[in-house]
Amino acid sequence: MKTILLVDDSTTILLSMGAILTKAGYVAEKASSADEGLTKLKGGLKPDLLITDLNMPGMNGIEFIKEVRKLPTHKFMPILFLTTESQQSKRDEAKAAGASGWLVKPVASEQLINTIKLVIR
Amino acid sequence: MDAIQQAFVIESRELLQMMEENLLQLENSAGDPEIINAIFRAAHTIKGGAGVIECDFIIEFTHVLENVLDEMRSGTITPNRELIEVLLACSDHLGILMGCVENDALPSDEENKTSLSLRKQLQHFLGQEASESKEIVVADPNIQTSGGGEMETDNWHISLRFGPDVLRKGMDPASFLRYLNEFGQIVHLTTLPDAMPEAEDMDPESCYLGFEISYKSDADKAKIESVFSFVSEDCVINIWPPHSKLADFIQAIDALPEDSMRLGEILVQCGALTQSELDKALAAQSTTSADDESASQQEQSPKIGDVLVNQGAVTAEVVEAAAGKQVKVAQKKSLESQLIRVQASKLDQLIDLVGEMVIASAGANMLARRSSETALVESTSVITMLVEQIRDSALQLRMVQIGDTFTRFQRVVRDTSKELGKDIELVITGSEAELDKSVVEKLGDPLMHLVRNALDHGIEGPEARVAKGKPAQGTLKLNAYHESGSIAIEIIDDGNGMSREKIFNKAVEKELVSANQTMSDNEVFSLIFEPGFSTAEKITNISGRGVGLDVVKRNITSLRGSVEVESKEGVGSTFRIRLPLTLAIIDGFQVGVGKSSYVIPLGAVVECIELSEKDRADTAHRQYINLRGEVLPFVRLREQFEIDEAGGKRENIVVVQYAGQKVGLVVDELMGEFQTVIKPLGSIFKNIKGIGGSTILGSGDVALILDVQTLVALATVQQNRTAVAEAVKV
Repeated sequence: MKTILLVDDSTTILLSMGAILTKAGYVAEKASSADEGLTKLKGGLKPDLLITDLNMPGMNGIEFIKEVRKLPTHKFMPILFLTTESQQSKRDEAKAAGASGWLVKPVASEQLINTIKLVIR
Repeated sequence: MDAIQQAFVIESRELLQMMEENLLQLENSAGDPEIINAIFRAAHTIKGGAGVIECDFIIEFTHVLENVLDEMRSGTITPNRELIEVLLACSDHLGILMGCVENDALPSDEENKTSLSLRKQLQHFLGQEASESKEIVVADPNIQTSGGGEMETDNWHISLRFGPDVLRKGMDPASFLRYLNEFGQIVHLTTLPDAMPEAEDMDPESCYLGFEISYKSDADKAKIESVFSFVSEDCVINIWPPHSKLADFIQAIDALPEDSMRLGEILVQCGALTQSELDKALAAQSTTSADDESASQQEQSPKIGDVLVNQGAVTAEVVEAAAGKQVKVAQKKSLESQLIRVQASKLDQLIDLVGEMVIASAGANMLARRSSETALVESTSVITMLVEQIRDSALQLRMVQIGDTFTRFQRVVRDTSKELGKDIELVITGSEAELDKSVVEKLGDPLMHLVRNALDHGIEGPEARVAKGKPAQGTLKLNAYHESGSIAIEIIDDGNGMSREKIFNKAVEKELVSANQTMSDNEVFSLIFEPGFSTAEKITNISGRGVGLDVVKRNITSLRGSVEVESKEGVGSTFRIRLPLTLAIIDGFQVGVGKSSYVIPLGAVVECIELSEKDRADTAHRQYINLRGEVLPFVRLREQFEIDEAGGKRENIVVVQYAGQKVGLVVDELMGEFQTVIKPLGSIFKNIKGIGGSTILGSGDVALILDVQTLVALATVQQNRTAVAEAVKV
């Protein structure tokens, strides 16, 4: 079973994406802030994929991606971030921070699963 | 309404409330970017959530709202009174729309009218240009007229050169190939290791691979391109549909870094080109070379063609459009357990009640025993057991991991070290240790103080460190662990450490100690917690003006905790804070001295031993016994609390431990374990040493709770004095 860590400050997103992932046979770990996500990763959680929002209170998604890439254990973990159509500059910034790819909000379940299949086996 | 809609409504209502508070604050704080950001984020999250539940009327409405807030965020629009007024109305209106979601209803005509009028008002702030106009998609510039005929193959051909950072961004090159097979078939594939450098120059984390792929699929180009959208910027990707123009192909081959002769052969191998096509292509290329007067006849020489034209086919717009097409229905089924938010005051009330229940049940239990009715005793003991479990679960509700408090310091360390021109890494361990929320809240300030202190005074600048033979990067460690009913939190730095001499001299100067006093290292270092003590030669804005550490100590002591410091000059310092896990209820061990009862926190009790007749005779004039070969200093509670009644026939020693130091407490009677609620003592008792609080026994009597920490300190000091006195005698 593949584990996916979801990080988003929106409960709605966590809940809906979590349901889609669980249905598709993934284990969905959730964190409602970057700090919480980072704590989980540092606490030994080794997900096969990380999906994070960019716009969060506290540590934002881009800082979060940078922090995660600093962890030697998570250096090569695929990271997808959630973005909207209009945020091209953010997208470049997140890619530069070490993200693997992105998902455009709102994420349809088919697209979500397809993208996940693209980045993890 | 399903669970996700419900979650959306609850979350949105919270966000709206926050938005309203922030809008009101914005009126007074003239465009504080933090507040504007928070308002924007709220609208953004609501819009995102509405997208998930496909609630169009909220999406449409928040879209305009978000645009206005975004402009406000970038400073194009300044929030004046008028705008805030409209925004507040929008927030109210969103609340009404949430009601529609809640009732599974569409908004009424009246409500739609309000939506429209508010949107118009918002657009007014955006100016005229904020109409519905979307970007116009530029027509594909990649139409070429140059000929050369079509290629014969009916497979797609994909030419891939990965960028060096692909692996570092968490992507596996093989995953793209795997994914291609989801909607087509890879007919032939050649791996190109040409870019691979010599072994000693190779970076194992970089990707040097390239692929030439012949691919059979009914998918359209956008679909195939979408596979590579995540790497399109870092990689060279060319995709040719079946029967492409040969000329395009040749141009692309020229643009690639590999030897074009070799590439040509690979393409023939792949079946992308026939041998005759290749010959024609190479001939064409050599003609161009000749035209360029690059006299040489070498067909191999790679030539940089017009890369832009080829790459124009893979623009981000196309990829995005492809991804956009896929946007379909979001699924919303099955849900998982989530968190419930509860007001802290409700929890406090519950804990209070549980506390009372603990006392009441102890009372009932005692009466039941006195009655000697077996059935009654049995049923009350079941109740007692349940009460104990309720107490534990209730306390558990307030337990939080310390990790969140620790990770907050990442930012502090980063910013502060930057400000100080130092390079410091924060290492966090033991973040899963739990403690009471109320303790965590009060811990923030002292911890912040100690961390800043370590950053500012503890860890040296990079030059100084290198000069001492240390790594230029300093390390600050935050560590937490449980230890006999309390939690220990360590702040460890590998900095300069403290100078015993400097501190001692300073203390003498401040008349805290006399110059001829002999003190252990720990005692000297503890002096830094004395009021008004500071050795910092330079006052900085990071760690304050030397009002610091005594305040830290006072804060921690008020939580029934302690703070100590270990340090080695040149090597670093460790500050260790010890705190009780909870402030409200403890498991106690009840003992009696004369007619009074005392309670010792059970976590601190190590063992109980009888003080025999012989021992009593031996220890009549000294304050320690020999416990299995170890010296165990003790305190006679009878003397400590000046109890005049004559002692009983027997005496016992309860061995307690605090901060690694074992001490005996001499009492008359051992009464056993018992759970107890701590009631604070009135302020008139605050100077009494050795008492930490009081509690009410089941019988209604009052018992005093012993403060093990002070008693241990007391016994240790006494023992040292005796030892010194004896040494002097000898």
